[in-house]
Amino acid sequence: MKNQASSSQKTSKFGLTSLFNRFISFEKGSTFLPPFSFGVWIFFLAGLIPSLIVGWIIYPMALYSKQPQPMNFNHALHLNPEIVDGIEGDTETERCLFCHTFREDGTFAGIPKLDKCLECHDDPESPLGETPEEQEFLNKYVAEEQEIPWLSYFRQPDCVYFSHIAHVKIGDQDCETCHGDFGRTEKLPAYKVNRMTGYSIDIWGRNIAGYKTNTWDRMKMDDCAECHTENDLEENNACFVCHK
Amino acid sequence: MEINRRHFIALLVGGAAGINATPLPWKFTDDIAIWTQNWPWVPVPPTGEFSHVKSVCTLCPGGCGIEVRKVDDRAVKIEGRTDYPVNPGGICPLGMGGLQLLYNESIRFTGPMKRVGPRGSGKFIAITWDEAINTIADRISDLRKQERPEALAAIDGNPTMGTMASMIERLLRAVGSPNYERIPSAEDTYRMTNLVMQGTEGPMAYDLENADYILSFGSGLLEGWGAPGRVINAWGLWQEHTAKRKARVVQIESRASNTASKADQWLAPKPGTEAALALGLAHVIIKEHLHNADFVDAYSFGFNNWASPDGKNHMGYKTMVLNSYSPDQVAEITGLQPKDIVALARDFAGAKAPVATCGKGKGYLNGSLYEFMAVQGLNALVGNINMPGGVLVCDPPPLSPLPEIQKDTIAREGLKKSRLDHAGTRRYPFSKSLIGDFAKTIIKSPKSPVNTLLVFSANPDFTLPDGGAFREALKKVPFIVSFSPYQDETSYMADLILPDHTYLEKMDDVVWPTGLQYPLYGISKPVVKPVYATRNSGDVIMQLAKRIGGSVGSSFPWKKYDDVLKERAKGLFDTQAGLVHYDGSVPAWKRLRDRGSVTPDYKNFDDMWKKIKAGGFWYLPVHAYKNWDRLFKTPTGKFEFFSTRIELAFDDYALLKNMGIAEKGDAACMPHFEPALSGADRSAYPLLMLPYEMINLASGWTPPPPFLNKTIFDNQLRKNESFAEINPKTASKYGLKEGDRVTIKSPQGTVRVCVNLFEGAMPGIVYLPLGFGHTAYDEFSRGKGVNPNDIIHMGKDPLSGHPVWWNTPVQLIKV
Repeated sequence: MKNQASSSQKTSKFGLTSLFNRFISFEKGSTFLPPFSFGVWIFFLAGLIPSLIVGWIIYPMALYSKQPQPMNFNHALHLNPEIVDGIEGDTETERCLFCHTFREDGTFAGIPKLDKCLECHDDPESPLGETPEEQEFLNKYVAEEQEIPWLSYFRQPDCVYFSHIAHVKIGDQDCETCHGDFGRTEKLPAYKVNRMTGYSIDIWGRNIAGYKTNTWDRMKMDDCAECHTENDLEENNACFVCHK
Repeated sequence: MEINRRHFIALLVGGAAGINATPLPWKFTDDIAIWTQNWPWVPVPPTGEFSHVKSVCTLCPGGCGIEVRKVDDRAVKIEGRTDYPVNPGGICPLGMGGLQLLYNESIRFTGPMKRVGPRGSGKFIAITWDEAINTIADRISDLRKQERPEALAAIDGNPTMGTMASMIERLLRAVGSPNYERIPSAEDTYRMTNLVMQGTEGPMAYDLENADYILSFGSGLLEGWGAPGRVINAWGLWQEHTAKRKARVVQIESRASNTASKADQWLAPKPGTEAALALGLAHVIIKEHLHNADFVDAYSFGFNNWASPDGKNHMGYKTMVLNSYSPDQVAEITGLQPKDIVALARDFAGAKAPVATCGKGKGYLNGSLYEFMAVQGLNALVGNINMPGGVLVCDPPPLSPLPEIQKDTIAREGLKKSRLDHAGTRRYPFSKSLIGDFAKTIIKSPKSPVNTLLVFSANPDFTLPDGGAFREALKKVPFIVSFSPYQDETSYMADLILPDHTYLEKMDDVVWPTGLQYPLYGISKPVVKPVYATRNSGDVIMQLAKRIGGSVGSSFPWKKYDDVLKERAKGLFDTQAGLVHYDGSVPAWKRLRDRGSVTPDYKNFDDMWKKIKAGGFWYLPVHAYKNWDRLFKTPTGKFEFFSTRIELAFDDYALLKNMGIAEKGDAACMPHFEPALSGADRSAYPLLMLPYEMINLASGWTPPPPFLNKTIFDNQLRKNESFAEINPKTASKYGLKEGDRVTIKSPQGTVRVCVNLFEGAMPGIVYLPLGFGHTAYDEFSRGKGVNPNDIIHMGKDPLSGHPVWWNTPVQLIKV
């Protein structure tokens, strides 16, 4: 017993002192931080700068593939009551709902089907305007009775339950809050799809860092939660509200 | 500058610092998380407009109401309907899995085909519809030219009362063949029971919901018997504690099935002795004067001894039962305790609304006629015939008959030929079709008397409990045509495939779901457009008839099958009664019990037909209860414990032995117990094999949806091996442990299975589930387990001539 006690005491003293002396040593000839040479700094930057380029520029370019929409659609033109007869509604939202309708059961129709277009563009022989896009639309889709294979910018994952009518009719939200100024654009923006997840770039946001300035810049779960919280609807942040 | 380790570290540190100063790691992590939730093989429903289509399930004769959820044109979910009178919202697992029969190219035929490989190989090439129809039409025309139209035969698995069955029979009669064969089921036995005891042609109608004591002779009430959605709901009603008196369910079955396990009482007589038990109960009821004297004395015939006009004395039911079926005698036969028999009889007779049901398992397989008569005799003894909570006596559904069939000389001559199965002859006077004898005739003849065989909605190769006899017969038939939408075993034997739509793609009628207590006519309608190039067999029959031409063509004056449905439905309108709307808050059985009247909720026939097509049904929830003096259509006008129809059919009791009836004399006209005789050497086959059915395993014509495989336990099916349930006592005699492999040998053949020790199995009996052992369909069914039908040593039920599938002697050989 005596031997054991003395040996442990000895190890402890010897080990600790030695470790301490190695790292923070006040002994002569040793320094806490050795001065780096110029070469070392060059190599550090040679690692740093390309990786910054990869992370900020190449990665986003490689991650997203750009896909063209089947044709252009001029939202600004279609929402202008002075040009288009029948676009009614006092607010922008009401005008959006003219084509992006709620079905009878309250579900949201999303991107309109050809039937909706045919309500006005009913005759492939007589265009309503003079744009080449309309001509293409009439020839390719109306005459052939083909649905336009639009690519949706805002499709959420299948595990997310989202009710448009709850937000628009009960929550009194404008379309713009989430979808931005789509209604005022003349050209459809490029559709970019995440090669890994298959979702549109607009869900993460066009900024690779996820930085947002507008409410519509990003559509991740945190953004839903942020808005719920701001509007004193924190109870709607419970998991099963959306992930049913 | 000398590059050393320090420089490399600097490079790595720089790289790591740089990457961490970009969004890459965080974004990458997030994307990986999403990526793992979106595997390409995980099915995701399409996006689109939701809609619901209401229809009726026709996967079994139960005919539950279904609501199919659709996203745009794609059906994505099948649920039970709450606005359909049969099933208040519930359906069975098979019904839920129905979409996997619709969208499943690996088990369906995508269009008409002809066989190129050897029979059974499943090798076909696509042909056009014209070629397919012309091929059959030419063959039938040739047979008619040769003046042997009877060489055309058809096997039909469609429900008896449906329009499809009448179309197929019509085609055969118009061509001139009497050989229209049906797949036997409990409904055939019900029909014969009603005919010989009540003289009625209507279906067996159990007022289950209003009953307070349910004595089930093997009916799989929780295994898919009747309309599963309805019966399981009724089970819930029986258990309701709010009811004045909780109903009692007693299950008579040798195996602890789900129904037996959940019943209030379970009695396990030896299989095949149920008739003796029913008569034993009758003995106690009569001896203790517990029977309903009002009914028995005034409205029944043959209860007491009687004398015929020629002065001959006959034994009555009472004497027979008192002499031969005392509790001790019955205990000897059934293996039950005499005191249990006495107590059960007292309980049954003491209940307010007791009902005894028959039809084993799901009712897909036929029963024993004398046993069904014995059970129906119990219902009569307690006077619960045509009373609330009993067995109702109903007329056949009021559908318009189709116009007369036009027959030319060839057809008339052909129809004079005797049927190949001898059904309806002196030997089997009450059967309409005997598929076992049909197969036997083909096997025994040097050259098959059937030249062309049409198979509709049936898979006899797999489902018939005949030890593979029908498969042998099929091999001899020169030309087989299958109308099945599915690549089943029988289709694999066929030379030509003319695939029907599946039940979700076509319009058809569902007439009177099995066991329902009031007339109901349902319409199953297309839920989606046909997925493949298939055609409704009803339409194909008409196209075929027109192509044959002459009187055959003019026997089918309609343009399309839907017109035939409409024409038959006119009879419903002619009743000037019935409803086409249903309010779920007042269930149909309640309306029936409360004896309310019904004002038709439609204006004219077109309005009614439009509403039937939209809502899917017409039903008549009114019933004239009791009415005993005018109810029975027997020669005596009474309920016959002693069936004068059977007596007339016998002519002479000396013939009984030829008919396979062991009993001699008057008892042969009454419900009695006939021991099943297998003829096999029981010393070589000391055990019995009994097949059983499960609600989550398709055992009939319908293919099993792969979805259901997930619900099978690993002591029922493990990889490709299915299990036999054996009592531990029996197993220990053979030195068998759980999971051991064993060969079950019957005189008919052998199967290899694993052992599942099960206390609920009767000692001395080996139980095999029905529905495994397919050699067709897809990877989820093919080669999975064994089919007990392959080793069934089929006997013949006395009087009905239908298969006895509950008496296969077997032996076990440990592998």
